[in-house]
Amino acid sequence: MARYAMVFDTRRCIGCHSCTVACRTKNELPIDMIYNPVTTVGPTGVYPKLSMVHMPLICMHCDNPPCVDACPTCASQRRDDGIVFVEDKKCVGCLACVMACPYGARVKNHESGAVQKCDFCKDRVDEGLLPFCVLTCHQKARVFGDLDDETSEVYKLVNGERTVRLLAELGTEPYAFYIYG
Amino acid sequence: MSKSVDLSQEGIEVKKSCCYFCHQNCGVLAYVKDDRVLAIEGDPSFPTNEGGLCCRGNIALKHLDHPARVNYPLKRVGKRGEGKWEQIPWDQALDEIAAKLAAIRDEFGAEAVATAGGTSRTDDWARRRFMNLFGSPNCFHNSHLCWIPTFMVETAIYGWCPFDLDMGSSRCLVLWGQNPGASSMPEMHHISGLQEKGLKVIVIDPRFTETAAKADLWLPLRPGSDLALALAWVNVIIHEGLYDMEFVTEYCEGFGELADHVEQFTPEWAAPLTWLTPEQIRESAYMYATSKPGNIQWGVAIDQLGKSAGAAMHARALLRALTGNLDCPGSDLLTGPSQDSITDEEMEANDTLPEEQKAKQIGADRFKLVTWPGYSKIAELAKKHWGKAPTAEWMCEAHPPSVFNAILTGEPYPVKALLVSATNPVNSYGQSKMTLEALRKVDFMVTCEYWMTPTAALSDYVLPIAGALERPTITNSYGCADFLLCSQRAIKPMYERRNDYNFWRDLGMRMGQEEMWPWETVEDAYHYRIEPLGYGVESYDEFVDLYRFHFPEREFYKYKRIGFGTPSGKVELYSSTLKELGYPPLPEYVGPAENELDDPELAKEYPLVLTTGNGFMPFHHSEHFQIKELRFLRHEPRVEINPATAAELGIAEDDWVWIETRRGRIKQKASLTHGVAPRVIVTERGWWFPERSMNEPELGGCLESNTNVLTSVADEHCDPMSGTWANRGLLCKVYKVNGADAKEGK
Repeated sequence: MARYAMVFDTRRCIGCHSCTVACRTKNELPIDMIYNPVTTVGPTGVYPKLSMVHMPLICMHCDNPPCVDACPTCASQRRDDGIVFVEDKKCVGCLACVMACPYGARVKNHESGAVQKCDFCKDRVDEGLLPFCVLTCHQKARVFGDLDDETSEVYKLVNGERTVRLLAELGTEPYAFYIYG
Repeated sequence: MSKSVDLSQEGIEVKKSCCYFCHQNCGVLAYVKDDRVLAIEGDPSFPTNEGGLCCRGNIALKHLDHPARVNYPLKRVGKRGEGKWEQIPWDQALDEIAAKLAAIRDEFGAEAVATAGGTSRTDDWARRRFMNLFGSPNCFHNSHLCWIPTFMVETAIYGWCPFDLDMGSSRCLVLWGQNPGASSMPEMHHISGLQEKGLKVIVIDPRFTETAAKADLWLPLRPGSDLALALAWVNVIIHEGLYDMEFVTEYCEGFGELADHVEQFTPEWAAPLTWLTPEQIRESAYMYATSKPGNIQWGVAIDQLGKSAGAAMHARALLRALTGNLDCPGSDLLTGPSQDSITDEEMEANDTLPEEQKAKQIGADRFKLVTWPGYSKIAELAKKHWGKAPTAEWMCEAHPPSVFNAILTGEPYPVKALLVSATNPVNSYGQSKMTLEALRKVDFMVTCEYWMTPTAALSDYVLPIAGALERPTITNSYGCADFLLCSQRAIKPMYERRNDYNFWRDLGMRMGQEEMWPWETVEDAYHYRIEPLGYGVESYDEFVDLYRFHFPEREFYKYKRIGFGTPSGKVELYSSTLKELGYPPLPEYVGPAENELDDPELAKEYPLVLTTGNGFMPFHHSEHFQIKELRFLRHEPRVEINPATAAELGIAEDDWVWIETRRGRIKQKASLTHGVAPRVIVTERGWWFPERSMNEPELGGCLESNTNVLTSVADEHCDPMSGTWANRGLLCKVYKVNGADAKEGK
C-alpha cells in the first residue's frame, strides 16, 4: 500500500496562484471556497535588504487526523494510503471537523452543505495521474508521490533535504512537507 | 478537468491546442467531444511549459463561454458609445465595412485608414497583407513598448536580434527589467532549474519582484536610469579589462571609438543617476563579464523608457559583443529567420505597397528606425545576409501617438478610419485622455474583440473573434524565430465567432484582392507555410498531430562562416546603420524622460519617481477583469509605495490614493511595501471595470485607475530612433483620496 505525501519546495514557489485557480476550476468550487491558498510573506526586512517567501497551504493529510476523530457521522475518513477525504453524502455540515483542524484546511460548501477540502485529487491519483495542482505548477514547486517507495522523488526529498512539517508539535503527523532555503 | 466529467468516456479526442493569455502560448491539451471542450490541461510534452499552466491558463474554459463574450457581429444603432446595438450577419457587416473603407480611400487616400493592434494572438501578417494591398502604410501596435525597438537596434548592430537564449550551459543570466516570476512562467521554471545547477542570476529592477527574491544579485536602480547603468557596465568591462579581446579584435568594428566614448561613464558617474553604489555597479558588471558564457534576457522596461530607450538598447547590446556572449554555446544566439518555412514577412506582400504610400507612413519623418526608412535598410541587409527579412508588421509601423494625433488635428493628413483588432487602446496606449479623445473623434471605427471593451463600446461595428481553443496557432516570436511551435483548433468557433484571419481575408475579397487570398481557411494558409519543411503532411492538422514542433539544427559561431549581417560584416559597436539614419553611432547619455536633475522645478511639484506597466498576476495587459475566478485574487488596482514615504504622506495600507503627473491623475489602492525605494511609486497597468456601465460617459471607468493617463507621448519624451514613449521614470506626486473627490475620474 502506498503512503501518499506532498512536498512543497518554497525555494521554487513564486506565489503565482496557479494551483489555487486550477484546483478551484477542477473541483468546481464556489467563489468563496479555496482548498489551497498561497500566502506570501514579505518582502520582509528594510529596503534594500529583503526577503520574500510564498507558502502554499493545503490539507496536510495527517497520519493522525483530528478531523476524522471529530466527525460524528464518519463522513471524514482516512484511506489506507493516507488520503484524508470527506464523503459528501454522510456530511451533515456540523463543522466539528472545521474546528478540529489546526491547519484551517476545511471549508463548508454553502451550495452543497457539506464540508470539503483537498483530497489529493484521489480520482486522478487512483487512475495513476498527478493531483491537478502538481501538474499545473510551472515551477515544479509541488512534488507528489508515495513515501513508502524509496525510488520516489518525495521519498528522496523527505529523506535527503531538511524538511519541515507544520505544527508538528501537535502530533498530527502531517504528510505535507516543506523545504525552505 | 471538472470532477463531473469522465475523461475516459468514449468519443473523447485530445486536441493539441495552446493558451492565448500571454505570448508564451503554453501547450494545452483539450479533451473534446461533439465539438465541445470538456476539459483542458497543460501539455506535458510541450517544450516550454511541460504541463504547467498559470492561473490565467487554467480559466480557459471560463473564458471560452463567458456570459460577457461578444458572440455575434454588432452594428451601432444609437450614438457612438450609447450602447445600442443591432445584431447583423457577418456578410452584411463586411459588405458595409468594405463600402465605407472604399469611400474613405476615394475621398482621402488609402492612408486615411489605419489599424491598431495589441499583443500577439492574431495573424497579423494577414492584417499587413490586407493593408498593403489596400494601400495604407498606417498599421501599428503597441510594439514600440515591447521588444520591437530592441529587435531593430540589435539587428542594426549585429545583423539579427539574439533573442533566443541558449541557457543550458550559461553561467550568468541578466534579467534586465524582466520579471518572469510574474510574466513568463515557463521561462522562470527553467531559470529555477538552472539556478539549482549553479546559474547566477542578476535582476535589474526597481521592484523587489518575485524573480528578484530568487536572484543572486538585485540591482534596485532608479526607474528610468537603465542607460546610465548600461554605460557604466560598458565602461567597467572595457576600462577594467574584462572584455573578450579575441572576439572584439576579430569580429567587432569601432572598439577604439567606443573605448574613448565611454571613458567618462564610470560607476562613480552613474551612482547618483542610478541610486546604486559604484560597488554594486562594479560587482554586477564583473559577475556578467567574468561568468561566461552568459545571457542578457530582453525585458520591456528598456523599450518603455521613452527618450533614452534607443541609446539604452544600444548600450545593452554592446555588452554582449564586448564579452563575446554572442552565438556561442550558452550565450544569446543569432539564429536568423526561419530558413525552412514561409515566414510572416513572406506572407505580408510588402512589395505590393507602392513607395509613395510607404513614404506617407505617419511618424516616419521623425522616428526612422521602426518605420519604412530604417526597416527598408535593415531588411535589405538581412535579406543579403540571411536571404530573408524580419516581419514588417511589428518592425515597421506608424507611430501610434502620431496617428491618434492625426485623427485629432488632421496633421500631417486626416485619418478617418481605425480598424482595431485585439487591443483596447484607451487602456494600452500612452496618454489615455488623448487616445480616448481620438477614438471618440475618428469617423469610422471597427473593433474585432472577445469583449465589449471601452474601445469596442465606442465603435461602429464590433466583430466576435475566435479564441485560442477555436483556432490554430503558430508560435514563432513574431515571425522572427527559426523554430515553429504549432497548435491546432480544439473546436470550431462557437456562436458566430470567426478567426481574425478570416476578417482580413473576407474584407480583402470584397475590395478586389481575391487573387491574393488563395487560402480559404487559416489552416490552409498554415499548411502552405509549413510545406517547405518537408514533413510530407497532407494538412496543417496532420503536422500538429504527428510532429507539432520544428526545431532546425543549431549551428553555433555562424559568424565565423558568414560574418554578421551588417554593412561591414562585423559587429558594429560604432553603428554605421544608425549613423546613416541620422542617429548617434555610439550611445550618448540622456537622462530619464522626466528627472530631478534636468528639471528641478518639476521635481519640486512632483517629487516621486513613477514606474508603470509591470506585469502582475492574474491579469495581462488590460484583460480578464471580468473573470471572477481571477478577479478574486485582485479586486482592485494597487499602487506600491514604501512605508516611510506613506507615513510622511499620511497614507495607510488599503487607502485609495491619487497618483498624479503633469498629464493627469488616477486612483489606485495603496500597498505599503519595502520592495520599492522610498521615492519610487509603482502603479499597475490596464485597469478598467467591466462591472460598470460600458456606455458614455462612464465607459467602464476606463480613465479612473488607468496608468496610461500618467504616461507621456510628447515628442520630447519619445525616443528619437524608435518613437517609443515614456512609461518609466516619470515624476509624480501621490496623495490620499478624500471623500469629496472619491467619485472623480469616471
